[in-house]
Amino acid sequence: MKKSHIVLLVLVAVAVCVIVSMFGDFSTYETFASASRQQGKVYHVIGTLEKDKGMSYNPHVDPNHFYFYAKDKSGNVDRVIFNGETPTDIEKSEQIVMKGYVQNGEFHCSQIQMKCPSKYKKDMIAEGKPS
Amino acid sequence: MSTVEYIGEHLGPGKLGQFFVITSFVAALFSAFTYWRAVQAERTGIGESTWRSMGRYGFIFHTVSVIGIFSVLYYIISSHLFEYHYAWEHSSRALPLKYLFSCFWEGQEGSFMLWTLWHAVLGCIVMGTARRLETRTMTIIAMVQVCLATMILGLYFGPHIRVGSTPFLLLRTTMQGAPVFSMPNYLDFIKDGNGLNVLLQNYWMTIHPPVLFLGFSSTLIPFAFCIAALWKREYTEWVKPALVWALFSGGILGTGIIMGGAWAYESLNFGGYWAWDPVENASLVPWLTLIAGMHTLLVYKATKRSLPATFLLFMFTYCLVWYSTFLTRTGILGKTSVHAFTGDGTALTYHLLIVIGLLLLLCIGLLVTRWKELPRVKSEEETLTREFWMFIGSFILLLSSVQIAITTSIPVWSPLAKWISGKDIAPPVSPLQHYNSIQVWVAIIVGLLSATVLFMKFKHTDGRSVWRRLVTTGVIALALALFIGYEQHINAWQYCLMLFAASYGIVANIYYAIVIQKAKLKKLGPAIAHLGFAMVLMGILLSSFNKHIISQNTLGVLMDMGKGSDAANARESADNIMLFINTPVAMQDYVITYRGDSSSAKDPRIFYRVDYVRADSATHNVLEAFTMYPDAFVNVKGQVGITPTPATKHYWNKDIFTYVTSVMDPSKKTDTSKYESHLVHKGDTIFINNGYIVFNGFNTQVSDPRYKPQTGDIAVAALLSVYDMKGPGQEMHPIYYIRSQYENTIDDTLRNRGLYTRLSKIIPAQNAAEIQIKQTDPKDNYIVLKALVFPFINVLWIGVIVMVLGFFISIWSLLSKKSIITRRETL
Repeated sequence: MKKSHIVLLVLVAVAVCVIVSMFGDFSTYETFASASRQQGKVYHVIGTLEKDKGMSYNPHVDPNHFYFYAKDKSGNVDRVIFNGETPTDIEKSEQIVMKGYVQNGEFHCSQIQMKCPSKYKKDMIAEGKPS
Repeated sequence: MSTVEYIGEHLGPGKLGQFFVITSFVAALFSAFTYWRAVQAERTGIGESTWRSMGRYGFIFHTVSVIGIFSVLYYIISSHLFEYHYAWEHSSRALPLKYLFSCFWEGQEGSFMLWTLWHAVLGCIVMGTARRLETRTMTIIAMVQVCLATMILGLYFGPHIRVGSTPFLLLRTTMQGAPVFSMPNYLDFIKDGNGLNVLLQNYWMTIHPPVLFLGFSSTLIPFAFCIAALWKREYTEWVKPALVWALFSGGILGTGIIMGGAWAYESLNFGGYWAWDPVENASLVPWLTLIAGMHTLLVYKATKRSLPATFLLFMFTYCLVWYSTFLTRTGILGKTSVHAFTGDGTALTYHLLIVIGLLLLLCIGLLVTRWKELPRVKSEEETLTREFWMFIGSFILLLSSVQIAITTSIPVWSPLAKWISGKDIAPPVSPLQHYNSIQVWVAIIVGLLSATVLFMKFKHTDGRSVWRRLVTTGVIALALALFIGYEQHINAWQYCLMLFAASYGIVANIYYAIVIQKAKLKKLGPAIAHLGFAMVLMGILLSSFNKHIISQNTLGVLMDMGKGSDAANARESADNIMLFINTPVAMQDYVITYRGDSSSAKDPRIFYRVDYVRADSATHNVLEAFTMYPDAFVNVKGQVGITPTPATKHYWNKDIFTYVTSVMDPSKKTDTSKYESHLVHKGDTIFINNGYIVFNGFNTQVSDPRYKPQTGDIAVAALLSVYDMKGPGQEMHPIYYIRSQYENTIDDTLRNRGLYTRLSKIIPAQNAAEIQIKQTDPKDNYIVLKALVFPFINVLWIGVIVMVLGFFISIWSLLSKKSIITRRETL
């Protein structure tokens, strides 16, 4: 066996290990209910904005605090706290992907990605502050 | 169905454009076929030159048609013919001339056109230079052009099957049924287009897409040479042109990718130049495999080893270019990417899949039939050789690209994973950390190899001289790394290793260039490219590791964010700073003050003026003062909210990067403050926000440009001095006069302080006055700002330039004489 083949085999083995370990890094899409089973662990939740229940951003008090209500795919509505300013055009979003964790019945999220109905606009993303 | 005779439409350009679309498709098909026949005729020798010249004419005609499509679309966009959907969707009358070209690449069809155009131009160059490989390479290129031309054909087979989408569709065709189109004069109602996405209105976006697409397109050429070589069973002739094109491609694609980074840095609020965004990754992955292929090709050129790997890598690269188009254009990344284009439906998905399938079929078919006969070297290679370590390096690059591709492709394979495991897999929670934790090792290994391989020779190396050089440069690099690491507080051990690898790359490549190659420019291509790469690594490390937010919120009330400790709560609410107008706020070393906004009718953006002052903490001497103008599109195109673009102060060793994250909604901006009356005697003081006003008595000799005296007037001005924290006092002179028995007042205003004064009444008997004062509430006008520091980011930009320079020096030396790269250096 050539030396280069041995080295390649070792490298491939390492790569396989790395790739397998990568899977532990991947997140999963959850609902508010399933995310609340592991309080504090970060998940992705897909939902829609509940406009009727209102939202609030008051930069005079805190420029990094915005909250709103969202309904997840199983129909549960939860209060979502976003550590940032009101994402542009969130009112018009038809779907939002939130990245965050559940704590005390509230969903704390650090990133919101919105899907907008207009075909002429790209999806938008809003970044909150790392918690 | 009644047809409406529409008024005012310009249908000519669209028909001409569509004609060019068809001719470009037909000509490409013709060219591919005739070139293929020319290859067939090679064996017999009969008619080969006829077929070939037919292929050439076909391709030239195709190129002319593509230029024709471009010109017509440009005409439509620049003449604001909004009856065309493309012009309406992507442009508007207000769009400055320099952004008209950006409209091309905002849309799907325009991007494919740009791609086609570059292929056509590069194809013409290949046609003139490929000599004995012309017929085969051009068959491939013309074939790819056929595939690309179908993307903009816009042919319908029945109501549901559509092949491609043409940029010359009429608005009324795409929006059938909209009531406005029942009117013959509908164009009178469509006064303006939808306009270009504001994020694309940046000068980087006029230059980044053409360069990136040139990079993407140029990967076709090494691919075509691979196919030609396999097809012809001739494995030497293709090496030099493929190498030149691979170098060209690597340089241009690298430039294009980093230009995208520069655009993100300047006009997006990612807060950086690289975010491991799927779209960025999609362009990085083919670049990595291309660079890997280029290196294995060098190995093959010098030693006849690694030929199969080279073929695989170049083929992989080109298929990946199509795959990245698939990722970014079909909307499959929808949930995960910031700027993946919204999907154009299943038609495009299948169309792209078919093209990728055809390419794979071609590659696999050729490789399988030729695999056994590929020339190989039987003997075992030595470990201490350049080819051995170059091959390892290429393999590491490939692994790196595989890792990036797997994570980026999560939306592609997650349905499969769900089917198997039941889990709905999402991208990593913190992608930066995910990629960095793996790619840092790639950076370390490649950084170390980049200089070390240059110390070795192909085939056989004298071990002692290599070790001597390794130790010499290693010691210097270690000293440099220790110094930088200590200065910059780099304290994570992986990044310490990366710091050493980058330092070593810099030191050893300079050493190699000067000591071994005696600084002969023509021989320095590899050393300079590797030096640039090491500088890029260094720049990434320094700017990212110590990137920090300096806009800590000192005004905001601490919110209970549900965190355990106050410290954690504070961290959560701390990264944005609130600036009320004219109210200085301390931000690390600076005192910053928001001075107001400016907008002009010509520019849709609003600029926010923020003054920065850095003073010596002991003596209060101003060390530095400057003004930044971060800007934002506010409530643009019916959006609620702002689209900010950053402003950056560049120092040689760092950047201060700021952007506005929130502003007072200008539509809600009202003047809520009212005048308040104060009765004062001479010498009295009135307290105001941030200061006070002293009434110094009256001036009865009023001479003021605002006041035109008339006979019989009685005029008096109040002498007011305003003092506040902002240094020297200012004078104000509100005027009161009686004309024809009526009282009149002329207010005086200090706009920079938002202060209005009025002398509303005088009481001569008491030598007193009634002064009315109004102050705008600073809380009515504010911005929320975020500021970050990127240390040593210039190392990154310079590194990229140096690296690309290295690519082009290599091309130059390859073209001007026999290769320096494969020549065995006199070590």
